[in-house]
Amino acid sequence: MLRFSSFAGSLSAVMLMTSTALAQVPPDPANPNEAVPEKATYVPYGPTIKLDQAKKAADAALAESTKRGWPMCIAVVDPSGDLVYFVKMDDCQYASISIAQHKARASAKYRRPTVVFERLLGRGPFFSYLATLDDVIASRGGNPIVVDGKIIGAIGVSGGTGSQDDLISQAGAASMK
Amino acid sequence: MKTRPMLTLDDCRRISAAAEAEAKKNNWNVCIAILDDGGHLLHLARMDGASPANARIAVEKGRTAAESRRSSLVWEERIKAGRNSMLGMPGITPVQGGLPIIVEGICVGGVGVSGVQSHEDEQIAAAGIKALG
Repeated sequence: MLRFSSFAGSLSAVMLMTSTALAQVPPDPANPNEAVPEKATYVPYGPTIKLDQAKKAADAALAESTKRGWPMCIAVVDPSGDLVYFVKMDDCQYASISIAQHKARASAKYRRPTVVFERLLGRGPFFSYLATLDDVIASRGGNPIVVDGKIIGAIGVSGGTGSQDDLISQAGAASMK
Repeated sequence: MKTRPMLTLDDCRRISAAAEAEAKKNNWNVCIAILDDGGHLLHLARMDGASPANARIAVEKGRTAAESRRSSLVWEERIKAGRNSMLGMPGITPVQGGLPIIVEGICVGGVGVSGVQSHEDEQIAAAGIKALG
């Protein structure tokens, strides 16, 4: 058995162990994540997006980026984040091939626009835990595709600035409403 | 300096549309992936009923053909002939259904299809490439 002689040692032991015999980690009043919301707020998942719907959303995004002269990658995924449709426009940077897919996947799996992660991480250290969650991408440009109040998929766009990506992504998602 | 042909989005859409038509004609639900010669994804379409696994496998068959500049069937046959060591080749998915896109004697990319029997997957990929003219 290890014996902690210093106060710092026993404190760290308390914080690492979660047995019922020991008190829980004391709440940190400064941390906004301590609040327990009464209700769960979310948009429910609906039926899986069809290829025709995915093409319609991507084509709307493609038309908008062509009009503006922004070369983009556009990815459309199903509710679980698996790829349904993908296009890389000519002259779009290579990095965006995977980023567009990542944005779409994160948006579908977390049922929210990826700008949420970007904004919260920007708020400071109490939100840096978000970067430790699976498959998060803290960059705007991923948006759920919602039909009849249900998420049927998501669209992720990459190739320009985050703000350009998000504008194109939203144009794609809006075409399904 | 050498110049060489390269796939555009228009080319990819033409290939994918023809491949999808071939699949639809046979009532096959597949995923069709088109990659450039460096194995970068340019276009993907997963038809209704094709699984998430089909999407991943189509990309990897296409990558195999694009990067090795030969049909993924060639790899499958090498292994069938007893070259088991080929199973360890990096980035190679040795399953029929991936074809290189050869233009003017140069490999400009690959098409990978997954969803039905391997020889049928290849038939779809070939129909797509044929549309390129």
